[in-house]
Amino acid sequence: MIPLTHHLILAAVLFCIGMAGVLVRRNALVVFMSIELMLNAANLTFLAFARDRADAAGHASAFFIIAVAAAEAAIGLAIVISVFRSRGTINMDELRTLRN
Amino acid sequence: MNIPSLTFLDFQPVLPALLLAVGGIVLLLTEVFQSAATINRAYQSMVALAFSAVAGAVAAATTLEPAREVFLGFGVSDPFSGAVTVLVCVGLGLSVLVSAGFLRHRNAERGEFYALLLFAGAGMSLLAMSNEFITLFINLEVMSVSTYALSAWLRRGTRPSEAGFKYFILGAFSAAILVYGASLLYGATGTTKLSELAGLLPAAVASNPGLTYLGAGLVAVGLAFKVAAVPFHMWTPDVYEGAPTPVSALMSAGVKATAFASLVRVFLPFAQDLGPNHAQLMTYAFAALALLTMVVGNLMALPQRNVKRMLAYSSVAHAGYLLLGVAALFARPTGGEGPLAVTPLLAGAEGAARQQTLQAILFYLLAYTVTSLGSFGALAALERREDEPRGTAWDLEKFAGLSQRKPGWALAMAAMMLSLGGIPPTVGFMGKLFIFRAAVDAGLVWLAVAGVLASAAGVYYYLRVVVYMYMRPSQDGVTVPERQWTTELALVLSTAAVVLLGVAPGTLSAWLGKASVLFSQ
Amino acid sequence: MSVENVLFWVFALGIVSSAFLVILARNPVHSAMALVGAFFFLAAEYVLLWAHTIAVLQVLVYAGAIMVLFLFVIMLLSLTDADLQPGQVTLARVVGGASAAGLCLVMVETLSKTKGAGQVIAGEQTQVFGTLAEMGRVIYTQYLFPFEAVSLLLLVAIVGAVVVAKARI
Repeated sequence: MIPLTHHLILAAVLFCIGMAGVLVRRNALVVFMSIELMLNAANLTFLAFARDRADAAGHASAFFIIAVAAAEAAIGLAIVISVFRSRGTINMDELRTLRN
Repeated sequence: MNIPSLTFLDFQPVLPALLLAVGGIVLLLTEVFQSAATINRAYQSMVALAFSAVAGAVAAATTLEPAREVFLGFGVSDPFSGAVTVLVCVGLGLSVLVSAGFLRHRNAERGEFYALLLFAGAGMSLLAMSNEFITLFINLEVMSVSTYALSAWLRRGTRPSEAGFKYFILGAFSAAILVYGASLLYGATGTTKLSELAGLLPAAVASNPGLTYLGAGLVAVGLAFKVAAVPFHMWTPDVYEGAPTPVSALMSAGVKATAFASLVRVFLPFAQDLGPNHAQLMTYAFAALALLTMVVGNLMALPQRNVKRMLAYSSVAHAGYLLLGVAALFARPTGGEGPLAVTPLLAGAEGAARQQTLQAILFYLLAYTVTSLGSFGALAALERREDEPRGTAWDLEKFAGLSQRKPGWALAMAAMMLSLGGIPPTVGFMGKLFIFRAAVDAGLVWLAVAGVLASAAGVYYYLRVVVYMYMRPSQDGVTVPERQWTTELALVLSTAAVVLLGVAPGTLSAWLGKASVLFSQ
Repeated sequence: MSVENVLFWVFALGIVSSAFLVILARNPVHSAMALVGAFFFLAAEYVLLWAHTIAVLQVLVYAGAIMVLFLFVIMLLSLTDADLQPGQVTLARVVGGASAAGLCLVMVETLSKTKGAGQVIAGEQTQVFGTLAEMGRVIYTQYLFPFEAVSLLLLVAIVGAVVVAKARI
């Protein structure tokens, strides 16, 4: 059997890679993909603990997180399209109309 | 297989949210049947208003009922959630009134806008009663997804889509942090239900301290983004500036109020059930967050000449005062222990002190909801759509000489500014009084002093608007948009509330005192 | 080392390397393809965790629906070369990357000390754990409130997406 901590550390690494993507990348789509990685890290953690505790609540949680991720993808991509339509780029460095 | 049974009692507390959702669906469906020839959308704001009013009245009735678990512990119905829902409905109603004039002026009135507003309200109401992490996360998303769409509503220039985008990225980022934190807490305790969490926390801290703290910390960061606490406030000014003004108003009022409600609901078990050391740690953490938020919010608002941006930073500062109340809630002054304990309270009095602090937080939330809606409403009445692409629609200069051109609007705006600044006789003053008193009672004297100093600095930029309106001559060639009766009604209502509740807060405060009851095992 | 362990390391390596590819690739299409890879490896990892149903859902919803949506939007945007240029290295980005790396170290250090409950799946549970039947039982008997809330969320997301993507209002 694979130790629980292996899965937890894998999820933590995935979460941090996603977080680094959000903080470092400037392409709106890639930033969004990084957020998906972070959500998957949460899912992996839920499932690892569900296995450890033989508890189906973790599975239900993961199920709902996937549903939320789908909803987020729909609205997020629509917003990316509207940004692209209004200024022809999705580079976040160029989103600077709203500044001090 | 045992199938748990649900009764009407389980569904009764979600009635306000159901009403709001049904209202949204009605608006969506009637919009479909609008024919291009006979287009008439005047009914939409009235329908939205009626649904929020009824939902608010139903929610007010729940505050009188005893606290109980519903939906097998996934939700709770307690007076606190009822009070927060009432607050949301007040914000929603005023926001609908302001939106009607605002959208008509821009020819952007659609049923979907009000539907999304009502859906956001339904999400907020459900969030206030969520008592399980996944439920909380989903309802938070219902609220957020509607507000993402609403902030990108207008199609003029680059501002609205940029605001929607920034809000979306940071909102999704914070939601991911929150849910990851929740997964760690699930691992530490074996449950995602907040009511079970309370009992399991001591054992979890004993066996897996790191895991528990990390999980709680990440959940706190996720919620701190939503309440716009420094250093997680970066999105606030940009989003509030770019979003349509009535939507910024709802974000500063409803979104913030419900995020605070879930902050309290999630973290009170940590302060309550883990013993005085943890309570003290939490108090310090939230006190630091409060201090930082108050100071940075006020300092950043000082140089703003763009009134909408100033109001955004002011909303950050007000989150700071509310966090001060939250820190006071977590403080556990049992006498003799640690530097925090100044006022020794009897053991039985602790519950009463908590209730008083919660009452102060609720009062402040209500005061801020009304005032913020009023000030954004006055701004919405004044801003001309021609100035929006250049971003000059919200300049301080636009307020110059407003008292001669539009004495009524100037009076309303002046009342709002005094209330935000915490000057009597307004509701903002009473709110600050209650919250600072709660902090002093909890032994956080230094923090209360810092709060008073920070709000004294805030008076400068609020009064500057008043000075411009009453003492500067009006600029040549500056016109104001035509009057809209809905916006003016919102201004009259919020001004009346600000002044009346400032003069006589007794009844409301007594009601909120009764409503300051959280469900607990 | 057992087969299970070997598989874990293979999938873990797949997840981490494709995740790095997602955030390092210059072209968003490459990022998207790497993300599909990450989702597939994650689904495989879920199977090792006895979460068969979630593994299937992961492939259907994530690798299927969500990724198609991503690729569709990338195609729709028809990005130019200028969009593919790496941005400037700013202080904020260096600090951001460094803090993510720091957080990673802290988290790995903390999580490696986790003491699990070590519950063994035995007896009747070996037949049902992680199956669709078991998940359905849990969701439809206990998770009523979040389930109904999700239906509201999906409605809001549909309305919001249609409204936001409309060219004019």
